[in-house]
Amino acid sequence: MNIAVCVKPVPDPGHYNRININPETKLLDRKGIPVIINPVDKNAIEAALQLKEQCGGKVVLVSMAPPDTVETLKEALAMGVDEAYLLSDRAFAGSDTLATAKILAAGLKKIGQLDLILTGSESADSGTSHVPSQLGELLGLPHLNHITELSLELPVIKMKAKIENGYVEYEGRLPMVLGVAREINTPRYTTLMGVVMAQNKPITIWGLNDLGLDPAGTGLSGSPTQPGDLHFPRHGRKSEILKGEPEAIAGKIIAILRSAGVLA
Amino acid sequence: MLELSEQQELMRKVVRDFVEKEIAPIARQIDEEDTCPVELFQKMAPLGINGVFVPAKYGGAGLGFTEMVLVLEEIARHAAGLALGLVAHYMGVYAIMTWGSEEQKQKYLPRICSGGFSGLSITEPGGGSDFTGQKSTGQLVDGEWVLNGRKCFITNSHCMSVNVVTVRTGEDAKGRPQISAFIIEGDTPGHTPGRKEKKAGLRGSYTGEIILNNVRLSPDNLLGKPGDGAKISLGTLGEMGRTGTAAAALGILRGCLEESVKYAKERIIYGKPLSNLVNIQMIIAQNRTDYEAARLLTYNAAGLKDAGKPCAQEVSMAKFFATEASVKAAKRTMDLMGGYGVITDYPVSRFLRDAVATIPACGTSHIMQVIIAGAELRK
Amino acid sequence: MPEKPGSVWVIAEKSRDKIAEVSLELLGKAREIAAQTGSPLTTAVLLGKDAGLLAAELIAHGADQVILVEDPRLESYQNDTYALVLEELIKKHRPEIILFGASYRGSELSATVAARLQTGLSAHCIDLKVDDRKGLVQVVPAFGGMVYSEILCPEARPQMASVKPGVFPKPERDATRTGTVLKESATVLDGYQSPLKVVGVVQQQPSDLPLEKAETIVVGGWGVGPDMWDYLEQIAGELGGAVGCTRPALDEGWTRGEHTMIGTSGKTVRPRVYMGFGVSGSAHHVVGMKDSGIIINVNIDPEAPVFQVSDYGVIADARVILPVLLEKIREHKGV
Repeated sequence: MNIAVCVKPVPDPGHYNRININPETKLLDRKGIPVIINPVDKNAIEAALQLKEQCGGKVVLVSMAPPDTVETLKEALAMGVDEAYLLSDRAFAGSDTLATAKILAAGLKKIGQLDLILTGSESADSGTSHVPSQLGELLGLPHLNHITELSLELPVIKMKAKIENGYVEYEGRLPMVLGVAREINTPRYTTLMGVVMAQNKPITIWGLNDLGLDPAGTGLSGSPTQPGDLHFPRHGRKSEILKGEPEAIAGKIIAILRSAGVLA
Repeated sequence: MLELSEQQELMRKVVRDFVEKEIAPIARQIDEEDTCPVELFQKMAPLGINGVFVPAKYGGAGLGFTEMVLVLEEIARHAAGLALGLVAHYMGVYAIMTWGSEEQKQKYLPRICSGGFSGLSITEPGGGSDFTGQKSTGQLVDGEWVLNGRKCFITNSHCMSVNVVTVRTGEDAKGRPQISAFIIEGDTPGHTPGRKEKKAGLRGSYTGEIILNNVRLSPDNLLGKPGDGAKISLGTLGEMGRTGTAAAALGILRGCLEESVKYAKERIIYGKPLSNLVNIQMIIAQNRTDYEAARLLTYNAAGLKDAGKPCAQEVSMAKFFATEASVKAAKRTMDLMGGYGVITDYPVSRFLRDAVATIPACGTSHIMQVIIAGAELRK
Repeated sequence: MPEKPGSVWVIAEKSRDKIAEVSLELLGKAREIAAQTGSPLTTAVLLGKDAGLLAAELIAHGADQVILVEDPRLESYQNDTYALVLEELIKKHRPEIILFGASYRGSELSATVAARLQTGLSAHCIDLKVDDRKGLVQVVPAFGGMVYSEILCPEARPQMASVKPGVFPKPERDATRTGTVLKESATVLDGYQSPLKVVGVVQQQPSDLPLEKAETIVVGGWGVGPDMWDYLEQIAGELGGAVGCTRPALDEGWTRGEHTMIGTSGKTVRPRVYMGFGVSGSAHHVVGMKDSGIIINVNIDPEAPVFQVSDYGVIADARVILPVLLEKIREHKGV
């Protein structure tokens, strides 16, 4: 069984308070913010490794990112992934979700012979959760997102997909594209031995020409959506600080609740 | 320029992820309760932490002392007490790995690389630095070694799976005490923990007595040859133990640096962050410089050890500087935080207690200076 | 019959034989957009087996026209069949703008349809505007709500966006409104075999009042702690409100579950009163509560960012205030 996991290197969410908007270029300035593997993508890697332990085969990693993310991908290799493909080209910069899905689909097709393609359900930075479905469409494969349980009884794959206040149980057959939710598992810790082994695992870098893509169809020019202005949220409430002993504060809160009409 | 490889930086990240998820959240609790989180020790074994410098064929990660320092720094950043428990464990591991027979290595190392605690039991109530003055004895009776005595200030005393113990086994030709080292499994009859000490700092590891009461051992339990006890224990303490303690102090220094920067940026005074004040910036500069100096000394000493070069003086300098600097940095950081520094909601007062306790661990600053000066004067 | 340019569609989602609240909320915004883009018609699209009865509800909330596709094969939502039918409808009627609710299903369906049509899609919008070229400006939160980013779709059509429940106010129901129902068929499904089989749908309906319906939400964060959590429940009970939570409290397992979490990856709420205890106010959480009527917060940390979005702040330990407040409310009610 050959499984591909699509992962996205993202700025570490623990450092989002350091993000700035450059006043001149109006672009995001994320200088100094470390790049990590998108957290829920680690759940996808874990799901793939568990299936490999169950059925044998190979787990490969596919990522569309700048070339300097090689070290980030090594962490995934250290978790136990067998090899990685980095899809990287200047022409890919500015890709929206559809253009990203196109590039990933081209990479996955070139790798070929894949039984299952897993992704995280959404990314920490933009959080659209579009890519799993769009990848499925572009590859012409069945797809589901927000998978919280997954079991394989070949040739049948059974899945639970999250909906509001519940889930839908599905059955299907491979190959398929699935976006996994964080509830599906707890990603394993990477081991020091895994880090050593990762050094000898292959990382293949493919650019625009390797993938046979048209530059007009990728990156910003190939993206139907275009970014406009950026701004920080402004909430504009002036906090009035209520002071006093707890009893006095409780009295003031009650007065506010009454004037708001939620307490008689 | 001292720089770790990309592989080592990834190892640091891997260990940091584990520490931030599993250790940092309980660091305050294990200090307050003064307990050793034994189950955590088992949880970190599969990562390769417990046998980081042990060859893979004995169940270790097959790495070196630079990686050991890296692991200890990351753990001590949040829980120096636990890091010192690991240093003590590493000493037992190191002694067996370095002086054990092939059979001994195969028998004991996999166990203590996979979750069992090890340790090194030298010190006795009579004193630690007076090595040859130890009174515990080992006698050969009917082909078996019989050990008796009492060891104190032994880290991991109450959770020991495989203990390396030194006892007096006779006198040499010149009439000097002959000290030998033995490997004792924790559940061997007669080998029991005694009193558990209450420590001011480095809580989070057990430190206490080991009682030896007619512990009967096969000759296979002798580590090295009779009389190798001094070589084994001083070799273990001198290079591995002190490098490990320096690494723990380094972790405390980084904790002080990070906490001082965080507090200075977040605390608003007269409408501006504390970090705008020059005297506060001086504290941060001192913390940064001390951390950097300790880092260079400690990783350099570990690098020398990895390269198989003599390093006793370098290790002693790292240990001397890092432990003393960590005390000063913790005090400075408390000064920076004013009243908040004293409140145990913030970790800095714990850092100070831990830092002070790193000084006697594996040899006091006085001993370190004797070694450093001695090496210098012999040149 | 191609529609006039500028037409705005809302893809209606059903939730247990009713129109989902988010679809009704979107109709209000769709009318505003239609007015600004010069479209005479706000259209709702409704798919299902016997969905016709619900068309009137859509009209009462602002739809001028309902495109209705009734077919037994559309009885329960399935991404592939719904996407096929929508693709056909869109190609036939060529709307300018399509809005989806950003539910799990709506997100998936919108992404699927956008890929099929090779057009642009934005996700989890917190605002929609029309620019001077009559293009749809889609405001989305990025980096966990730290930054708001505008997304445009200058050339490809239709312009598509999904919007989280609770972002826009629901229009008043007006039973006297009139509109047309345009029936379409699902012949595109003839001979189609879905590769996925739905084996079951499990609804874990929470017994408590849903956050979206509560006038008062009492929210607990990290600063409350597991032992004090019940005070939130009791205070909410006295006020006839609901209890919400932040991500850290959810992760600790103190709460009733994910359906009570407020923030970018949870609910967006706009209750009349939001009362937070031990909530720090991460950008992630603030996105989901900033439009509440009155915001009160109790936090021990004077620097907590939550105070910047509060009308009233109390700098005190939530764990101290909670029992006192409960007692005072009960005293006030004469219980």
